[in-house]
Amino acid sequence: MPEKEKIKVIDLYFWYAGSDKPALKGINMPVYENKVTALIGPSGCGKTTLLRCFNRMHDLYPGNRYKGKILLDGENILSEDYDLIKLRTKVGMVFQKPTPFPMSIFDNVAYGLKLRGIKDKSELEGRVEKALKQAALWDEVKDRLDQPATGLSGGQQQRLVIARALAVEPEVLLFDEPTSALDPISTSKIEELVVELRKKVTIIIVTHNMQQAARVSDYTAFMYLGELIEFDKTDIIFTSPSKKLTEDYISGKFG
Amino acid sequence: MKKIRKLPLSDLIFALISFSAAFVVLTLIFSTIIVLYNESSLAIHKFGILNFIFTVDWDPVNEVFGAAASLYGTLVTTVLSLILAIPLALGIAIFLTEISPHILKTPIGIAIEMLAAIPSIIYGMWGLFTLAPIMAEYVEPMLQKTLGQVPVIGILFQGDPQGIDLFTASVILAIMIVPFITSIARDSLNLTPNIMKESAYALGATKWEVVKDIMIPYAKLGIYGGIVLALGRALGETMAVAFVLGNNHQITTSLFDAAATITVTLANEFTEADTDIYLSSLFYLALILFVLSFVILAVAKFFLLKAERGYSR
Repeated sequence: MPEKEKIKVIDLYFWYAGSDKPALKGINMPVYENKVTALIGPSGCGKTTLLRCFNRMHDLYPGNRYKGKILLDGENILSEDYDLIKLRTKVGMVFQKPTPFPMSIFDNVAYGLKLRGIKDKSELEGRVEKALKQAALWDEVKDRLDQPATGLSGGQQQRLVIARALAVEPEVLLFDEPTSALDPISTSKIEELVVELRKKVTIIIVTHNMQQAARVSDYTAFMYLGELIEFDKTDIIFTSPSKKLTEDYISGKFG
Repeated sequence: MKKIRKLPLSDLIFALISFSAAFVVLTLIFSTIIVLYNESSLAIHKFGILNFIFTVDWDPVNEVFGAAASLYGTLVTTVLSLILAIPLALGIAIFLTEISPHILKTPIGIAIEMLAAIPSIIYGMWGLFTLAPIMAEYVEPMLQKTLGQVPVIGILFQGDPQGIDLFTASVILAIMIVPFITSIARDSLNLTPNIMKESAYALGATKWEVVKDIMIPYAKLGIYGGIVLALGRALGETMAVAFVLGNNHQITTSLFDAAATITVTLANEFTEADTDIYLSSLFYLALILFVLSFVILAVAKFFLLKAERGYSR
């Protein structure tokens, strides 16, 4: 059965403000619907830069430039008139470090909903509960929803942030090294969650950890110095990559 | 007990010098308190601690003195200047941290700091010759026609506007304290971690929503500290308000009446104080101001320390 392309990156270049050298050089790749796509590569290869193109996080800083296209359901999200608020509703993001807002657990998860003008209390409660359950956090926090989110452990905070992203029912979820600040047990919980969540959302995950990429992803993109070296099914990338560079990186010869 | 290692003589001398330098500060503070208390003891005994504070009369001829009128003027001008300055200062701080294009940040920031560097006597002169006539001619009549007609708060805007009054003094004070609140608020807002702001933007928040929901809660304690520091500054300011307040010892409900503050009374009357009890009463006023400023500074320090600890976690 052919996979459906949720996102298609076409000839994408990206320049950071004040730099002549592109940080991304002609990237072409698909992102398949309801699959986990991992972006791997050594530090500075552009994997996080690429991830932050998908919700146009780069637009927060003046002077950054894109060239090329990223099609989300066939629409170019890099076009000038694409509504950024709409984009970020469809494409959620989870960062390297947990980022609970300075408010209660409930208000954290409800935040994105409130931004969209949902005020009805019972609807908010229902959707917060659903999101917390999806993020496998409900049982741990259901008795203290009104307490500050900063009181949770690091792993709980990261699942809270995932719940917050899920509450607005995004179609795509971006993970930027979501476990780099977590202990092994919290890490494995997040990994299980990622595998579980792909039934509902399309996931793109940046990771330093090759085992993690192998464990959670269906597809893997290997990047090096701003270029996409190889994109394929994860088991192919990890067992029989077609490029020498990929094989060297996978086998730990550099990186 | 651990034995103290013997220091070479040069180190000992150095330690002694730096210790005495530090000790000077403490000596100065305590001797100030002692002098203020001693000099005011005559008035404290004659009028009583609380009675002095609550007496409105300030009558050098009959030798009856009370702090209430000056205290009232001080509190009204301070509070009103804060009400005027806080929204303006927060607006500037938010603009500088989140909205301003890069090329505007530095010039506006420098202009704000220069505003803080203007000697207060210049504000006073400007207030007397420029601001007061404008207030009397345009601003105050306009306020009378609008807010003056509103029940209850209208009472604040009665009388014949002369421009030399509580309101003009408060406006000048507000302009003077804006830089303080602005620069501390800006620094506090800048402490919000980028990743927090990005998280909110990534959820589809607008600039205003990020400022309101993420940055201001983060910067809250720092902003409070800045406001309290500005409050202390407004309490103690003398020259900027001395020219435009009229030095009239009275308590009035209208902001368009002349009044006095503690600092203005002190500045105007020390040279005229010809009796011991007059002089002592002035010292007592100074003592009250000192204690008030001391408490406020302590509160400000408390907020700022708490804020710092919050961020470092």
